Amino acid sequence: MEYLSLFVKSIFVDNMIFAYFLGMCSFLAVSKNVKTAAGLGLAVIAVLLITLPVNYLLNTYVLAPDALIEGVDLSFLSFIVFIAVIAAIVQVVEMVVEKFSPELYSSLGIFLPLIAVNCAILGGSLFMQQKDFLNIGEAVVYSLGSGIGWFLAIVSLAAIREKMAYSNVPAALKGLGITFITVGLMGIAFMTFMGISL
Amino acid sequence: MNTNNNVYTIIYTTLIVVVVAALLAFVSQSLKGKQDANEKADTISQMLTAAQFGTKAEFQKAGNAAVLAKYADEIGQAFTVNLNGEKVQDLDLTKVYSPKELKRQNYNIKGGSNKTGEPEIPVFVFKNGKTVVPIYGAGLWGPVWGYIAFEKDLKTIAGAYFDHESETAGLGAKIKDDPAFQAEFIGEKPDFAQANVFDIVKGGSPKEGDTEIKDNKIDAITGATMTSQGLDTAIDTWLGAYAKYFQGQQAACDKPCCEGEEQNCKEEE
Amino acid sequence: MDAKLKETILNPIFKGNPITVLVLGICSSLAVTVTMKGALVMALSVIVVTGISSLILSLLRNTIPGRVRIIVQLVVVAMMVILVDQILKSFEATYAIDKQLSVYIGLIITNCIVMGRIEAFALGNKPWPSFLDGVANGAGYGMILLIVAFFRELLGSGTLFGIDILNRFGYVPNNLVILPPFALILLGCIVWVQRSIQKDLQEK
Repeated sequence: MEYLSLFVKSIFVDNMIFAYFLGMCSFLAVSKNVKTAAGLGLAVIAVLLITLPVNYLLNTYVLAPDALIEGVDLSFLSFIVFIAVIAAIVQVVEMVVEKFSPELYSSLGIFLPLIAVNCAILGGSLFMQQKDFLNIGEAVVYSLGSGIGWFLAIVSLAAIREKMAYSNVPAALKGLGITFITVGLMGIAFMTFMGISL
Repeated sequence: MNTNNNVYTIIYTTLIVVVVAALLAFVSQSLKGKQDANEKADTISQMLTAAQFGTKAEFQKAGNAAVLAKYADEIGQAFTVNLNGEKVQDLDLTKVYSPKELKRQNYNIKGGSNKTGEPEIPVFVFKNGKTVVPIYGAGLWGPVWGYIAFEKDLKTIAGAYFDHESETAGLGAKIKDDPAFQAEFIGEKPDFAQANVFDIVKGGSPKEGDTEIKDNKIDAITGATMTSQGLDTAIDTWLGAYAKYFQGQQAACDKPCCEGEEQNCKEEE
Repeated sequence: MDAKLKETILNPIFKGNPITVLVLGICSSLAVTVTMKGALVMALSVIVVTGISSLILSLLRNTIPGRVRIIVQLVVVAMMVILVDQILKSFEATYAIDKQLSVYIGLIITNCIVMGRIEAFALGNKPWPSFLDGVANGAGYGMILLIVAFFRELLGSGTLFGIDILNRFGYVPNNLVILPPFALILLGCIVWVQRSIQKDLQEK
């Protein structure tokens, strides 16, 4: 597959949020303002960009049948290995953010450790396993594309929510309720990308 | 105790990882035999379901032993063929292809860096003349695979059964759970002359007033576009790989001898 | 039972519901709510997994080094789920159940409710309350799942638990309802109803 079409495809057609609805928890909870949203989006790009190629290498050279020792199939470990790699990298990112931007750290709150269980990250690794990438270059391009897709989605939702603060929404629907509905409508709009082949 | 100590942290993590890995490896190794037996019986019941010997639920109720006995009664011959449709070797009649082996053959058919050798794909011929072949491919979340049974003429589909690892319940999972979807395959005639052997598309089933012949098309599953496309690709890839074998057998069978045993067919040829 | 324990159990069901108030576990609530059966299986699995993993990690809470706590939590949760999967897979009687469950394994491990409750509750509380908190959160999550699945299966397929309800009256299933975005819109409506009753949850 050509790198460019894989890249565009992973941003729009295979968008983690709107096509697969992965990583919704942090997407909904940390999209109140554009600045925090962009921070989390960057963190997701970073984590995806590191974990996916690492998991690709592990999957190809350690976990696949006959990869390590002839006749040994370690694929039953793939879940736990992927999760452990993701958790380790999230922990490192958490420490880096805490050190260099305490402000971002406090506004991300519980959601930074929760990136570890952000389904978009694990989903990325599982899709990688599924898509049979031919080389690590494709894995890197794919991880970058999906990360950017997630970033774009959360920033655009945050922008809508910032505007929505000034709209006249029924009191009980304010905040979370209207956000759910907005995301639903955005999802329907994004379905127009589905089925486009590049 | 100071749990933030570096040495403590490293020892603790190593210990946890070693304990967990050892436990999982032990459990996985000690249970492997039983799991494989269950998987084999499941695979056989899928093939029997595709060849219309009963429904999956019936086989599940009957238990593993009954399924294996039924299969031993019904199977006529099993062998592997290559992409040119030539027979490579006979298979032991108790041998079936697990999803893992199908995956390996799938790489071999598609080529690329995951290829481990020349494709050698299995054909199972039952005593009643039906031929069953597997298919394998990628769905939305994980692999999809299944079995397609052909009538004696090797042109008409007699039945199909599909399975998947993790398609969405109620949508993509319908390829396995919805008998109506599998029944749509019955009577279809895949076009082995084309690269696009079979289609699972929107509007694939014949409707009143249609002028187009839709013998090799069925309806996609609503709301499960990706799974339907994945299954479509899997069928195209695998039936495409079998195309030469099927075409060769069809030509042989177009002679009047077809009503008899397949063996006679080959002799007259 | 003292008042605090009772609060631990009752709070997650309504007032502090993990989905509609804490916004945890949304992904899986979109994926498994097309049918009632799927929602029920997922709800039961999550109750079991959250309960037991909260219990185990609460027992370990004083020994876990702060800096690697996420890895430890995830490894324990994942190990438990995989163990159960492997054991169910090896018995003839449970093999079919396991095939149904294996679809959800990835979703259970990455369900933020499990991690969220361990982070927020189990690491700071004694084992028994942690276990109850886990079970109660699983139940609160399961309740929302079943409500959403009820509408999606009824309107999207015209059935409930696979049994025909509306189709016999000539109902044409609405395909929009089985697409994931509609689950979000339904969740929005549930939040609307809940906050109309519980005014103190409303955001300014």
